[in-house]
Amino acid sequence: MLNQGLFDFAQWLDSFELSTRLHESYYMYNWVESTHVLSLAVSLGMLLIIDMRMLGLTLTNVPASRIAARLNIPMMIGFTVMVVTGLLLFFAVPVRTTQSIWFRIKLVLLFAAAVNAWMFHKKMNESVASWDSEPKAPIRLRYAAGLSLGLWGGVVTTGRLIAYDWYDCYRSQSEFMAWASGCMAE
Amino acid sequence: MELLSFFEWAETSLLGSIGKSYGGVYAIGQSLHLMALALLGGTVLLTDLRLLNVILRDVPSEQVTENAYKWFRVALVIIVATGIFMAAAVATKLYYNSFYWAKMAALATGILFVFVIKRPLLKRPHSEINPIVLKSVALASMVIWFSVAATGRWIGFS
Repeated sequence: MLNQGLFDFAQWLDSFELSTRLHESYYMYNWVESTHVLSLAVSLGMLLIIDMRMLGLTLTNVPASRIAARLNIPMMIGFTVMVVTGLLLFFAVPVRTTQSIWFRIKLVLLFAAAVNAWMFHKKMNESVASWDSEPKAPIRLRYAAGLSLGLWGGVVTTGRLIAYDWYDCYRSQSEFMAWASGCMAE
Repeated sequence: MELLSFFEWAETSLLGSIGKSYGGVYAIGQSLHLMALALLGGTVLLTDLRLLNVILRDVPSEQVTENAYKWFRVALVIIVATGIFMAAAVATKLYYNSFYWAKMAALATGILFVFVIKRPLLKRPHSEINPIVLKSVALASMVIWFSVAATGRWIGFS
């Protein structure tokens, strides 16, 4: 049911002439994709530094809350660019992407990373006054920072794997994989 | 011609054969390359945006650059190592790819710029350096590393 709905939505997006034109434009598509990848340096780059500060790996003599607050703005700018270019990439190739197991895992990991980040900020704001100048954050926040690094590693990896056709629907695969990938077309 | 022979040899070497034969291992190499790009880009932006007085203005720039430099080196080592692994698997194709040579030129410029100009300059107290020089170095650094990353991405498009 859900797979059918997603497939119908993808086909509807695919019916737009703009989707085809974006996909077929050598410069436009490749620049959107390049911007999506290069904005990693801004979004994930800033996030890595925040997480590494919590883990006591860098800038340990600067209060953790200051690092988080100051790097939050460039990080969010990077994420915004990433989301916009990501949506454009999806719009350009909606049917294949909807049926990509890697894309689906990537979305789950992104959701998990967002929930983890929200909980991390909540916990940090509640307790930061007591450890702000310590070289490392308390153990629970360090776990959250480590989890954040792991989840983003997964997002990058699955994002890269979307380009591979190992589990594309035209290949023969198990019933479970076909369901998990959302294979609907012939 | 000798250079082409080297690229052909690289493709048949053990490293090249592993990348060619095992798609999963090659993809992991690509992912590590991207994650190292994020770390390298993050440290470059942290340093350069601080020198431009855009971020962390209430933290001494010497402190920011020293911390960022440690992780920049780690990221550079990972990027070069995974880059060699990825290049070995498709070496002959890369030999004829103009974006590959553009990336190598940009990377060589970036490495020289960091170790010959930027790093020796930033070792000095920043208050003793002309602010225009500091800002010019930061801008040049961002342009160079953007070129390295952008030309790298375009290798796959040509």
